[in-house]
Amino acid sequence: MALLEVKELVKTYGGRAVLDGVSFDLEEGEAKVVMGPSGCGKSTLLRCLNLLIEPTSGAILLDGKDITRPGADVRAVRSRIGFVFQNFALYRHMSVLDNVTLALRRLKKMSKREAEERALHELDRMEMAEKRDAYPAALSGGQSQRVAIARALAMDPKVLFFDEPTSALDPIMVREVVTLINRLYLDNVTILCVTHDLGLAKLISDRVVFLDRGKVYAEDRIENLLQRDDPVIDEFFGGEG
Amino acid sequence: MSFIDILLTLLQGAGYTLLITFSCAATALLVGLGIAMARELGGAWVSAMLSALVYVLRGVPMLVLLFVVFFGLPGIGIDVPPLLAMMLSLGLISGAYLSEVFRGALAAVNPGEVLAARAMGFTRFETLRLIKIPQMLRFSVPGMVNELTTVLKYSPFAYTVGLPEITKQAMALVATTMRGIEIYAAIGLIYFAIYRLLLSAVRLIEKRYRIAGFAEE
Repeated sequence: MALLEVKELVKTYGGRAVLDGVSFDLEEGEAKVVMGPSGCGKSTLLRCLNLLIEPTSGAILLDGKDITRPGADVRAVRSRIGFVFQNFALYRHMSVLDNVTLALRRLKKMSKREAEERALHELDRMEMAEKRDAYPAALSGGQSQRVAIARALAMDPKVLFFDEPTSALDPIMVREVVTLINRLYLDNVTILCVTHDLGLAKLISDRVVFLDRGKVYAEDRIENLLQRDDPVIDEFFGGEG
Repeated sequence: MSFIDILLTLLQGAGYTLLITFSCAATALLVGLGIAMARELGGAWVSAMLSALVYVLRGVPMLVLLFVVFFGLPGIGIDVPPLLAMMLSLGLISGAYLSEVFRGALAAVNPGEVLAARAMGFTRFETLRLIKIPQMLRFSVPGMVNELTTVLKYSPFAYTVGLPEITKQAMALVATTMRGIEIYAAIGLIYFAIYRLLLSAVRLIEKRYRIAGFAEE
């Protein structure tokens, strides 16, 4: 049984289908990248999967349980899915350490000491422990993204979602963050990553789900996709590879 | 009447002015926060009704509302003491203005942070309390200082409902001593001193909660 099963997921806005019957599986320990042209529904897909957006129809099974059914525990679902955003989304009024401990203390009901130990472990893993007392305004983009990843990992999620994790970074910081995500991949963390970054996709994806106009256009290994003679995929990759 | 007597009378009046200003400012903060939170958490109907209330309160002259509360309500059997009447007029109107300051400050909170908190499993209320309000209060400082200063400057209206605040005391002193210039100049200075006191208190709080790189001009 796959960790995450997406079945015929549909999301419409005013009669227009942004997601039009998307289906795929994500196995435990697998890393999957979602790619596709702008407006193909990638970000909407991630937001539907942790119920930030309510899907119009279809089913999402996490550990075999349908999380879209009425009465599903949304908080429990979200605490099992780590989410790392494009623009880091660190809480600007809190120190690095407080950013990581907030949910541990409030949602996981850990004591202050327990939460700080857990947070420092993850910050250390992301090489950010020494910045524990810094505020987000004092961090570079790469450092912010590492704190955001530590914050998500600290909750011990079943799966980690990345929404364009490198698109707000300059090339040097991209390398830095890609290296860290690759390390998570090698540690067998289950990853679902929306990205335009071919380098990142090549490094961390077991398989790529290629979306086009709200549908799964193709699902394959990245090297196979790049070799396909397909105008839609060719146009997206622009002859790279 | 000696200089000391005059000074003591004015200081007694200043005590009332401080009491009125702090009571009305506290009411305004509670009302402003309450309206801002209800607008965030309530549905479209709640928001529309509160917008209408704020619109009306911002348009009513403070003295008119004070007279409605103090002289009007007893007509239907509700007696309102003078200080409470000030809180229900000046406090309410300032609260309406503050709610607009807070609304602007809430809009300045990064939506990405709100989304991140919701994605972690925080409820809308928890997100408001832990992420939005702490940032909103920091963004609101300049607007809050303006509004609290306005409360101080409207406090003399309290003499119309019988509170012996400093302007009322000054008027009485001028009537008996005929030394209008000195006495009114003195209360001008006392108002300025209270204003500086308020400002220093706000700056102290601001400094205590300042975060490097956050909401700095």
